[in-house]
Amino acid sequence: MIIKQRKILPSGKLAQMEMVGLVVIVILITLGMLFMAIFALKSDNQKKVFTSKGLTSSAMSSIMKTNVGQDANCVSEYIGYSTPIIGKDIIDDCAKYLDNPSYSLYSCIGPISGEKVHSCVFLREIVSHLLEETLGSWNKNYEFHSQIISGVEVKDIIEPIIVGRGGKGCKGVERDTSGLFPINTEAGLVENVLYLC
Amino acid sequence: MNKKGQIRMSETIAVLFIFFVLILFGLVFYSKYQTVALKEKQEELLANRAIETTLRTLFLPELICSDGETEPEDNCFDMLKLRLLNETLQRNLDDYYFELFSYAKIEVQEVYPGNATYLLYDKPKPNFKSRESTYFVITLRDELIGKGEASNSFGYVKVGVYS
Repeated sequence: MIIKQRKILPSGKLAQMEMVGLVVIVILITLGMLFMAIFALKSDNQKKVFTSKGLTSSAMSSIMKTNVGQDANCVSEYIGYSTPIIGKDIIDDCAKYLDNPSYSLYSCIGPISGEKVHSCVFLREIVSHLLEETLGSWNKNYEFHSQIISGVEVKDIIEPIIVGRGGKGCKGVERDTSGLFPINTEAGLVENVLYLC
Repeated sequence: MNKKGQIRMSETIAVLFIFFVLILFGLVFYSKYQTVALKEKQEELLANRAIETTLRTLFLPELICSDGETEPEDNCFDMLKLRLLNETLQRNLDDYYFELFSYAKIEVQEVYPGNATYLLYDKPKPNFKSRESTYFVITLRDELIGKGEASNSFGYVKVGVYS
């Protein structure tokens, strides 16, 4: 049958048909590779999105609500020994005495340094400790920022906590945010934010 | 002429051979893909179950901080409830809580200031192959510690589902 066809078809036409066959094969291989690439790149799923989004905001709100433990021996000038709330008393105190590193209303033992420190130093130590014990131990990269806004001036009240990717944190990559956690203090509005990537 | 026909025949056989080799490649690739896709689907289903179980735990009325108000507080467990929950869970494990959590392990870990661990629920699947764990940061509210006001601790809930 093929021989018969070849007899009928001129040689130019036959070459054209072979070219068409070749093109079809090339298209099929390209489509196959395209599918492979699509499946290889499709990696994120529902769980990843859920844990990141929920985790960031829940971690942030939990940190803000936590009371400092009794082992921190927090002494306040007027109250005496107390267990201040991080997102209320400590941040307020830090913002108020930000420009006075030698004095703050609360004086607590930092979980990292093990010494009585200024509220701002304590805030950084306690937040670092809490994040390291949770997100850090689950191999997550994160960033924590706390800034005071007074008028047009925006200033960090503590040095940002940046963990992961060789100190780059979540800069330049897809990240989830806790959203701004604004706290009204006597010194101005303090905005706290946690990024997770 | 006979020789020419033989050449054409072998040419046709070669073309058919390559065609079937290509089809075989396609079938092998498709079966491999199906195996991987099936495994991924199983993992996805397990992850979804882990998420559902975590959400059920987070909003469990037996645990959540209610404060006597209509709206309960999100991501917060009441320590008074938590300390007594294990007993309740064990008493009603098969007739109620198994329907909610299925084969799973639920733990609450206090991170700061204490480091207590509370095992709430553990029902391992016989001959389980793997366990998918989900973590969630929570506040642990204790009305007994604070002076006048409740004291909040920092912790997390770990929900592992068996497959």
